[in-house]
Amino acid sequence: MTDVSMRDLSHEERAKQERELREVWQTPSGWRYWTSVNNTEIGLWYGATAFIFMLFAGVLALLVRVQLAVPENGFLSAEVFNQAFTLHGTVMMFLFAVPVFEAVAIFLLPSMLGARELPFPRLAAFGFWSFALGGVFVCGSIFFGAAPNTGWFMYPPLATDKAYSGVGADIWLLGLSFIEVASIAAAVELIAGIMKCRAPGMRINMMPLFAWYLLIVAGMILFAFPPLIAGDILFEMERMFGWPFFDAERGGDPLLWQHLFWIFGHPEVYIVFLPAIAIMAMIVPTFAQRPIIGYSWIVLAAVGTGFLSFGLWVHHMFATGLPQISLAFFSAASEAVAIPTGVQIFVFIATLLAGRVIFSVPMLFGAGGLAIFVVGGLTGVMVALVPFDWQAHDTYFVVAHLHYVLIGGMLFPVTAGIYYYYPLINARRLSERLGKIAFWLMFAGFNVAFFPMHLAGLRGMPRRVFTYPADVGWEWFNLISTLGAFIFAAGVAVVVIDVVRPKHRQPPLEVNPWQAGTLEWISEPEETWGVRSIPIIKSRYPIWDQPGLLDDIKAGRYYLPDVQDGARETLVTSVLDARPEQCLRVGGTSIMTMVAAFSLGGVFIALTFHWWMLTLVCATLTFAAITAWLWTGTAQIPRSEVRDIGLGKSLPLYRSGPQSVGWWGMFITMAGDGTAYGSLMFGYFFYWTIHDDFTAGHAGPGMLWPLLAASLFLLAWLAMLLARRVNGSDRRWLMRAMLIFSAFLTAAGCGAGLAGPHLNAMDPTVHVYPAIVWVVAIWTAVHGALAIVMQAYCLARSLAGRMSARHDMDLQNVVLYWHFLVITAVTSFGVLGLFPAVR
Amino acid sequence: MRLIPKEIESLWTLFTAPTIWAVHFLVCYVLVAVYCEKAAAAGFTFAQMRLVLVLITLLALAGIALSAWLAWRQWGFGSGDPPHDAPTQEDRLLFQGFATLLLSGLSFVSVVFVAVPLFFIETCQP
Amino acid sequence: MSIHSERKIFGRLQVVLPFLVAGCAGRQSALDPAGQEAAEVYHLSVVMVIGGGIIWLTVIGLLTHACRRRRSAWSEEGAGRLIAWGGVAFPVIVLFALLVYTVWLMPSIRPWLGRAVAEPDRIQVIGEQFWWRVRYPAEEGLAGFETANEIRLPVGERVVFSLRADDVIHSFWIPSLGGKMDMIPGRTNVLSLLPTKTGVFRAPCAEFCGVSHAYMAFSVVVMERNAFDDWRRKQASGNRPEGSKGERLFTHHGCVGCHSVRGTTPIAGLGPDLTHFADRSTVGAGTLANTRKNIERFIRDPSAIKPGAKMPAFDMVPPGDIAAISGYLAGLR
Repeated sequence: MTDVSMRDLSHEERAKQERELREVWQTPSGWRYWTSVNNTEIGLWYGATAFIFMLFAGVLALLVRVQLAVPENGFLSAEVFNQAFTLHGTVMMFLFAVPVFEAVAIFLLPSMLGARELPFPRLAAFGFWSFALGGVFVCGSIFFGAAPNTGWFMYPPLATDKAYSGVGADIWLLGLSFIEVASIAAAVELIAGIMKCRAPGMRINMMPLFAWYLLIVAGMILFAFPPLIAGDILFEMERMFGWPFFDAERGGDPLLWQHLFWIFGHPEVYIVFLPAIAIMAMIVPTFAQRPIIGYSWIVLAAVGTGFLSFGLWVHHMFATGLPQISLAFFSAASEAVAIPTGVQIFVFIATLLAGRVIFSVPMLFGAGGLAIFVVGGLTGVMVALVPFDWQAHDTYFVVAHLHYVLIGGMLFPVTAGIYYYYPLINARRLSERLGKIAFWLMFAGFNVAFFPMHLAGLRGMPRRVFTYPADVGWEWFNLISTLGAFIFAAGVAVVVIDVVRPKHRQPPLEVNPWQAGTLEWISEPEETWGVRSIPIIKSRYPIWDQPGLLDDIKAGRYYLPDVQDGARETLVTSVLDARPEQCLRVGGTSIMTMVAAFSLGGVFIALTFHWWMLTLVCATLTFAAITAWLWTGTAQIPRSEVRDIGLGKSLPLYRSGPQSVGWWGMFITMAGDGTAYGSLMFGYFFYWTIHDDFTAGHAGPGMLWPLLAASLFLLAWLAMLLARRVNGSDRRWLMRAMLIFSAFLTAAGCGAGLAGPHLNAMDPTVHVYPAIVWVVAIWTAVHGALAIVMQAYCLARSLAGRMSARHDMDLQNVVLYWHFLVITAVTSFGVLGLFPAVR
Repeated sequence: MRLIPKEIESLWTLFTAPTIWAVHFLVCYVLVAVYCEKAAAAGFTFAQMRLVLVLITLLALAGIALSAWLAWRQWGFGSGDPPHDAPTQEDRLLFQGFATLLLSGLSFVSVVFVAVPLFFIETCQP
Repeated sequence: MSIHSERKIFGRLQVVLPFLVAGCAGRQSALDPAGQEAAEVYHLSVVMVIGGGIIWLTVIGLLTHACRRRRSAWSEEGAGRLIAWGGVAFPVIVLFALLVYTVWLMPSIRPWLGRAVAEPDRIQVIGEQFWWRVRYPAEEGLAGFETANEIRLPVGERVVFSLRADDVIHSFWIPSLGGKMDMIPGRTNVLSLLPTKTGVFRAPCAEFCGVSHAYMAFSVVVMERNAFDDWRRKQASGNRPEGSKGERLFTHHGCVGCHSVRGTTPIAGLGPDLTHFADRSTVGAGTLANTRKNIERFIRDPSAIKPGAKMPAFDMVPPGDIAAISGYLAGLR
């Protein structure tokens, strides 16, 4: 020990600290267990739920395979088959692939970064409950024959045809919007956590690669999911109220949905793939017994993939008749994205070559996954070439390709992760023998099932057919595929058995059974505090390179070994060099998150069935729950300003503005919100490009009202800036007056914004032009209304003495919200008012 | 080049080159998409537009090259080899320089890839 | 390797590969090209499959070697060089070459015929749930005509299709001739193909379009020019009234409300045109073989065979009448 020079605590002092820590971080018992917000519980529930959904979707896949085993089969009716394959894809993508990464991240990240908790534990709990409820709702629909049945990408006009798609499409749209909210919540949590909650000394060049990957993935979620949410809004408006966004007869265009869906859909593939590769990046060094070679290369690959993946979406639309030059741009970007992917694989191989490999089940799954994934990558290069894709598109070749990519690039690495990280859950290892059996069943079964599909596809078999004629030459391929699917399923079953079989007879393992080098292995499964004390990090592989680290952490020789004010605390550090900046108090166990999630779920479910009153009740409840949660859990004024965190260091307990994680949370959320808004505006201009006259002769909102609205919003924003300023100089009453003034201006701005289309009698059901104008105006007005709520909240906080000149986090964050809002409002009303005149 | 300080204390510099790629990509896509829908009303030809896009490509490549040069300078012109994993601010800066250099390389290649269609496709044909 | 021997190996592969993968040549296969685009893509596929196979073997070979217990560990420099050459340089070169080749290929297999073949001279194909409406343009004094679920083309001549849909998105795909093109409501897409071999090919709908997406296919007959001309003439003049019982019942039971047999009935456009129906190979857009028994089955209850079909069941019509109608249709040469 060199840097930890302080005296050792006496045995009694240590015991007292441990007792207090245990008490503060304890998981509630009884039914209250489910109100826990600890990252270990949330992560575990998240993962388990995602796996249950995966098994459910797997069973659907087996039904699909049985139906296709022989030609002209009558095992499933066409209607059930269509629901089964739609739900299979939907569940695997939205309820397994994405959530399982959120699960792993929430479970592992805090300890990997040497933090007690991520900055918004209640948000994580809220995300989990949203996901679980939405998932059950979507999956349950098939038992009522009401599941979505138009394929997981829901192309209109088939999916907007109510006679065909029934309530299934609404279940898809609303259920998944709800889950997307959960994903964005997780993204906010992860970005803020990785940027701001690393252990002191963990500079960005020493972050575990897992954290690098997740940082990129969370950023991608922020820009990929909102376009789909925007698309969902347009879609639901068409289904519920007949606004013709995708109806060609009234000026809409089905292609806009395809754009919005795939702007989400392609990055989604990488959102699924990168976290799984991130697990590999943790496993490979452990089993090669050496640090990774090419750390910077991995960072290059992760960042590069993150960017390039947004330039690929049209490669799902190569057959839609877009100009060849447009297709070629996307083909080029799709080829380019193979470069960073190749780099990642070679980094792993190089690391293994430079080390001495200990071969075990996690490596087996990892290597097997790579072997499968490389095939998927090579076929990916093929389908990204336009002429080849014209043939392969929407055939079983693509089915084979995407399963090679997702199962090799995601399911196998995740299974490797289960075998690798299981000791962190339960201090026991999974069976080596069962693991090997499972691997070979899965590996062989997978290839038997999916390899023939390449050939079936090239021999002309389109995807999504519920049956096929006997004389086209696909019988053998399909029969073999079905056989393989069952072998594969048997392998998965063995993994499940291995995980759930009782292990109390096995002796508990030591901490860090694989002799790994990264911090997550310091956590003790039976303790809930995460880390006993928050260490100073000096290496990428601290357990290997910092002798005595484990003992020092356990002895409480580092930061925050004790409890103060009965609060849950973790450190906030600077972005680049991880210098300690603040001791952050995070929210503890609360039922409010669950209430908020369930009532928000109620909103979405009630909307599906058009129960308007219930929608209103649930919305009010959601609003109340979220307000209660914020009121009691955020921006609390601490009893003292600073806190002694140990090692002779004191940190402030309250910070606001860009130094606070709350500010970051708001910024990140608004980046996502801004992307959704951008997607709506993309729609506006999209309609302009496809029509000679996109107004089709319909009246617009005029110039007066929109420009008035824009000016009012601008003034309201200035009033907010002023409010922040006068609050800084502690002129409380002036600040309150400015808040009220600004709220009135905002209300007037919303009114003026809606008055434009209203007074000009724009009927959104007649043509797409009035419809898109209304959507943009409503979107902006809703954000204005939200701003008024926030202003009222600040006013209430100030009156209740929970906000002051020094403790102004609420106001700071609301002003940040206003920066985004003023851009939105000026753009919206500027475009609505001026564009029809200047085009 | 002392205008831009040698050691930039920001994570954002890492994203310069890929952002240039993204902007270049979007400009190519949007310009072509709008032109091909509105060709009748446009005051210029497809060939002229291609030429403009080639010039924009050169501009983007120059921007990336500049980002690469700055990164190379921050990396000490290759004086130290990776892994840059010492717990010092200096190594953190070297790491940032090296990673930015690599990303500039990838972005450069990607911009070249995206420019390929400009040389082979001569009309708005679907 | 000389160009000559390369050709020879390539040629041999072309002969062997379809058999390797399937045993017999299919009627609906991209691996058995009978058109220019399909052939180009097929050659590209063969090259890529072989190249991809070599790359896969190399990568997996390295991986397996890396996981062996008894070997000496590589130096960090060596491993770093592997990343730079194997992970960066090689892929960049190969991907760039592939990209340049295929971007060059695109306009050569789908040339722009907008000016050469004007809209009225294109074969119009309209996707319907779940069948294909086909309209041939008028040419050289012959009238244009509508038919359904079958397209006939002269070999060796480039044809241009104008593709539309009114209900939902469908996708037009003749695997043996070339790649696909979607039919999207509100848009008209254009696709040109160049058949190079005669034969009968099957063409499925390639975009999920509803319950019976699986039962939506048409047949393509590529013929010599003079045979095609004969067929075209015959189609243009329609059928002649024969005065049979089946023909009368076809009108009596209301079939003519949706289907036309040109030359004998008034033109009705709701369902597929049935002129010269006996010349087609299938009933119900690729659902059943075109036999009298199958026509009977289909008329009695279309939805039992093809779920979601728009045609109502005619099981209230006496079986004898259905048999007569089927006989009439099966005889419409």
